[in-house]
Order: sequence, then structure tokens, then C-alpha cells
Amino acid sequence: MGTFPRKLTTLCAVVGACSLSTVAFADNAEVSGQLRGYWIERSVADAGPLAQANRFQAGTAAIDASAATVQAELRASGSAGPLRWNATATAQVQSPEGGSTATQGWINEAYASGAALGWQWSAGKKVVSWDVGFGFRPNDVVQQEVRRTLAPETLEGRPLLMAEHFDADTAWSLVWVNPADEQANTGAKEAALAARVYRRAGAVDWHGFVRQGEHTGTSLGAAASWVASDALELHASVRAFAHADSSTTTNNGASLSTANPWRATLGDAGQQVLVGGTWTSESQVSLLVEAWHDDTALTDAQWNSWSARNQALPLWAARGVPAAAVAGNLAWQGGAFSVSKNLRQDNLFARLSWQHDRWQTALDVLYTPADQGSIATLSAIWSGEQIKVEGGLRVHGGPDSAVVRQLPVQRQGYVVATWAF
Amino acid sequence: MIYSTTTQRKPIQPLGQWRRRSLASNARSNVAVGLPLARRGEGVGGSGGRTLGGLGIVLLTLLLGTANAQDITPLLKDADRYRMSAENLQVDTQVSVFNADGSPDKQRRYTVFAQSERKSLVLMQSPVEKGQKVLMLGDDFWLLMPNTQRPMRITPMQKLLGDASTGDIATMNWAGDYTGQVVGEEPCQPDSKASCLHLSLQAARKGVTYQRIELWIGKTRHEPVRADLFVQSDKLAKQARFVMDKPSNPTNVAEMVLVDQLSNKKETRIQYLSRKERTVAAEWLNPMFLARNPSLE
Repeated sequence: MGTFPRKLTTLCAVVGACSLSTVAFADNAEVSGQLRGYWIERSVADAGPLAQANRFQAGTAAIDASAATVQAELRASGSAGPLRWNATATAQVQSPEGGSTATQGWINEAYASGAALGWQWSAGKKVVSWDVGFGFRPNDVVQQEVRRTLAPETLEGRPLLMAEHFDADTAWSLVWVNPADEQANTGAKEAALAARVYRRAGAVDWHGFVRQGEHTGTSLGAAASWVASDALELHASVRAFAHADSSTTTNNGASLSTANPWRATLGDAGQQVLVGGTWTSESQVSLLVEAWHDDTALTDAQWNSWSARNQALPLWAARGVPAAAVAGNLAWQGGAFSVSKNLRQDNLFARLSWQHDRWQTALDVLYTPADQGSIATLSAIWSGEQIKVEGGLRVHGGPDSAVVRQLPVQRQGYVVATWAF
Repeated sequence: MIYSTTTQRKPIQPLGQWRRRSLASNARSNVAVGLPLARRGEGVGGSGGRTLGGLGIVLLTLLLGTANAQDITPLLKDADRYRMSAENLQVDTQVSVFNADGSPDKQRRYTVFAQSERKSLVLMQSPVEKGQKVLMLGDDFWLLMPNTQRPMRITPMQKLLGDASTGDIATMNWAGDYTGQVVGEEPCQPDSKASCLHLSLQAARKGVTYQRIELWIGKTRHEPVRADLFVQSDKLAKQARFVMDKPSNPTNVAEMVLVDQLSNKKETRIQYLSRKERTVAAEWLNPMFLARNPSLE
């Protein structure tokens, strides 16, 4: 990135900062927010490479501990002449079990928007979510939201410049995201130009996407959502990319490494495909079913050699190798978990939910056919006038060899209370 | 009351002003109407002449061998005007839900931009729902949840969510959405002496909230009085009662009271706090524009 984009980033930051302060003095200012407290109970696994690492030498692999968190979120918006300002900020206090309390704050969104020459524009930090899926969104190429989180939080937007044009049935969106971030940034922090065209055609919504990443190059995508009947909605999304940010290991064998063998790489061309549908009954029972394929995830062969290495590494301890070396190598095996948003390339997802009165309950299951692993989540939400209480339990299942069974946390429970004002 | 001998109720001409307007068209139709005749002594004119009046109409119908679904659009348009006083409106509503024992359950505020051609935009205003938006364009619906900023296409079934469904709040027109027939004259309430016109409405479009509506409207001014609302499976979902601003000379529906009949028997009161003429920019009705600003204005 050159000098101009860096100045542009500075401008975005200034716009964002101004929006927080200016909104207080703007016309028609609106302020709202929420206080949110939650407890996540994590049950650490006794199997998998990270658990083994900590058995060889305690504390080698960092594993998220159970934690209590309190978040205060403030939203403000207003207008000043032809400009509109929006800002959302969060302050958080988190106290992990056995750790020290940490305080931090961040700006979720801070942007200005307006209209000129028939186009709408926005500048600043903003959430821009695209695509049609629930469990996975191949074409969410700007926000790149992590899906299926245990207790979803307010999203943190991306720095961007955006221009949009709307007529009755069509919308054009042009986005320059992370306009001046470091060239080395990857994933959602990569600088990129992205565009979406939307067209409504009766019962079908059509979307077309293109993204030009600074180092990942071009990707093209398309998505559709079709209301097939009063009760049934069907959707599909496909994206083909020239490259994807990835990471690979330099040591697939049984030998010990002296440094973390996982290296960031630029993956080859591939596709991401999702199909799904939602059926809803009169009594508000909904069933969502989705299937997707993701070429950015590790292949079956890569997982097989990863598993073989997991089994081979502990044997070094019996050969007199220091426990710290074995533990370190096992802990580095955890690098495989963050290669892609999806652990396995092929995934099936089902979610059964029911809304009645103030209650919303849901059971969802992510299933990976390649190794028969599963992640099941049961949740319930109660919504009052200003208070919302939610809780749930997530459990990993399947054979011991399944990748999801190797993750460092196998069982999580959570309770969240939110007071909105 | 007059009932059809066929499985589906067939119309009889409504009385008074409506009867005079539609008699000729009915006389040309060719489906027989059945008996029995009006039992409550309610018909044209005063109480003494009502039975004879009703009898006369039925005999005339029988003689002509006719009775067909009238074009009840004028009646529905009259009734619609009490909720939708202009083509394009901004309506602020408050929805209060009461438990079966009468205790308050919850309260919600909505801003509805009800526009011509069956287009509506609903903005949720209560703290717990703030930022949610529902867009309804004819038979097509979209939902925006504030935490995703991603407009999502939803089915008509998903629109039914809640004690007062989005359809209850945003839909203020029957004409155009429903076809039907005048069943006859009936008491406005089961225990009242005042007479209403009973209309039986069938959905003419797939996206409407209720598949069938039995509607009772005032005989003279055609203001809505009460309604039975049936969902797709023909189950009675809700019973509605309309409270007018001025009972003696109604101009607007001030409140719609819905009683759930499917599950919890809760009572939902939809109060129309304010109505003002407002035409929103065309782009506001583009589904992707929902994510444009948290509150659009």
C-alpha cells in the first residue's frame, strides 16, 4: 500500500473518532446500549494433542479457561446536516478462572454516511455482512464473520470506504476494506476491493460478488435465496477463489521440530459451496439444514498425517527426549485448528428451533462425515421487556479419532444476561 | 341468519346501502342460496319489517336462481380506510400483551411505514428489539437483525412470529389481499343487538398472514368491528376486536385487540398512537437498504 491509502486510513480513523464525539452534538441524536454479563464454563479435554502436551509439561499449551465477562455497549447515532453518524463502543472486564482480571475496550462501529450523485456512501469502521447462509457464508468477503460462536457478541466492523446505489429491485455495493492496513495482513484484515450486486426477482434474491484481495487475488461468487412456499426457503452460495490465506506444516512426519512447523502460506485456487433450506411451521418450529464444502480447510490426507504425527510424538518421551520438547511439538499441532474457518472440508449442519411466547429454544448439530465427528449445541433464550437471558450447552461427539474430539475444549456451558436500554 | 345449503357459505345480499348497490349484480348471478331464513327478526327497516324484508330478498334471490360472490371490494375499501387513512402512512404503534388472567405481560413499540402497493417497513423501537426491521413487499418478506446487519429473506410462516405478528402490525388493508362474500347480517357481538355485515374473506395472495378471515363490519359506515382470523391449516388463530376513536361517529381504528386462540389465550392490544401521511424514498423499500442505517432516519 502506498502513501495515499495510508492517509485514507488516517481519514477513516478520524471519521470514526469524530463520529463518537460529534454524535453527542448532532441533531436527532439517539443513544442506546446494553449491559451484558456472561459466564462460560469450559471443560478441558483429556485427549488430543494439546491435552497431551499439558500432561507432559503443564502449561505448555494455552487453553481458554472458564471465564466471567461483563460488557457495556453504547450505541449512538445522529445527523449533522447532510451527514449521518453512527458509533458503537464496548468496554469489557473479563476474569478467567485462575487468571488475572483484564479490562479492555474497542470500537465496534464508527462511521459517517451520506448521499451524493445518487450514491450512498459510508466511511469509517462498519459491519458489512453479505451472503445467504447460516452455518457458513462463503461470500461474506468483507466482514468474514466467524459463525456458530457459542454466545454471539456484537460484531466489530472493518475499516472501509463504501459506495452503494439502490433502486427498487437492484443494489450495487462497492467496498474498499482495510484500505491501508499492513500488506502482511491476512484473512479479514487483508486489504481488498469488493463488490456486490443484488437483484430481486419475485420470490428469488440473486447476489453476485467479486473480491480482489491484495495478495489473495480475485474471487468470484454468486448466491441465491428462494422462498419456494409459505413455509420453505432454499438458499445456495458458491465462491471460486484464485488463492486463500492458509497455513501448512513443514513437518508431517514423526520427527521432532525445534520451532513451530506451521507457516502462513498462500493456498491454491479452490471453491466454497453451500446449499441449504429452512422450513417453518405454523407453530413456529423451524428446521434449518445446510451442507457445505470448503477447499480452504485441510484435506482428509492432511488430517490423516496430522493424526499419525499426534500418535508418533508422545513415543519420543520413551526414547529419552526431554518432556518439554515433546510437549512443545504436541502443542504446535494445535496450529491445524486455525488453518480455516472449517476444520473439515465437508460439513452438514442442522438446526431445530422453536419460538413460543418469550422463549426461543434451539438444538443444532454440525456433523463432519469424513470422520463422523459432531458438535451439538442446545440453547434457550428468554426475552423480557429489557432483559434477555440465554443459556446453553455445547458438546463434541464422535469417535476418538474425529478432529473435533482433538480440540482442547470438549464441553462448554454458558449463561448470558443482557439488559438493554 | 341465512345459511347456505352447500358446504361453503354462500352470500346473501347485505342490507341497507350495500344491498341497494349490489342487488342488481346478484340478480344476474346463478348460484342458489339456501335456507333457513333470518331467525332473529333482523332485516331491512325496523324490527317489525326485518323478517319480511329478509324473506323478500331471499325469495327474490331464489326466484332469480341466483346468488354469487359479489365484488365486496368497495366494502373492504371502506373498512380499510379506518386503519389506512391515506395511501402512504407512517404509523406509530404500541403493542401491549396481557396474560390470560389479565396481568400485563409485555409491551413493544413499532414504527410502520405502510405504503401503497402492499409495501410496508416495520422498525422495532423497544430496547430489547431495537434495530430489528421487517420489510414486506407484496408477498415477499425480509428481516434484519441488528447484530448481523444482513438482510435475510424470510417465509410467510416466519412472519407470523410473536403474539402480534408482523403481519398484524404492518398489514392494514384487506382489499386487494382478500376476496369473499357477504354472509349476511348478524349481531355485531354475540350478545349485542346492533347488526353488522358478516363478510367471509379468503386470501387472494399467498403471502398474507391469515388464509381466511370472518369479518364483521358496521352496517352503515362499514367500520371494522370484529374478526376471526384463520391460519393456513384453517385453525382459528386469533379473534380480533376493533376499538374506534369515536364510537358514535368513527373515523379511525384506535386500537385492535387480538385474543390468541391457538395456544396461550393471551390478549394483545395494538394501539395506533399516531398516523401521518408519509411517502418514503423508493430505496428504503429495497431489501439491501435495510442494513444502510440502524434507524433509517
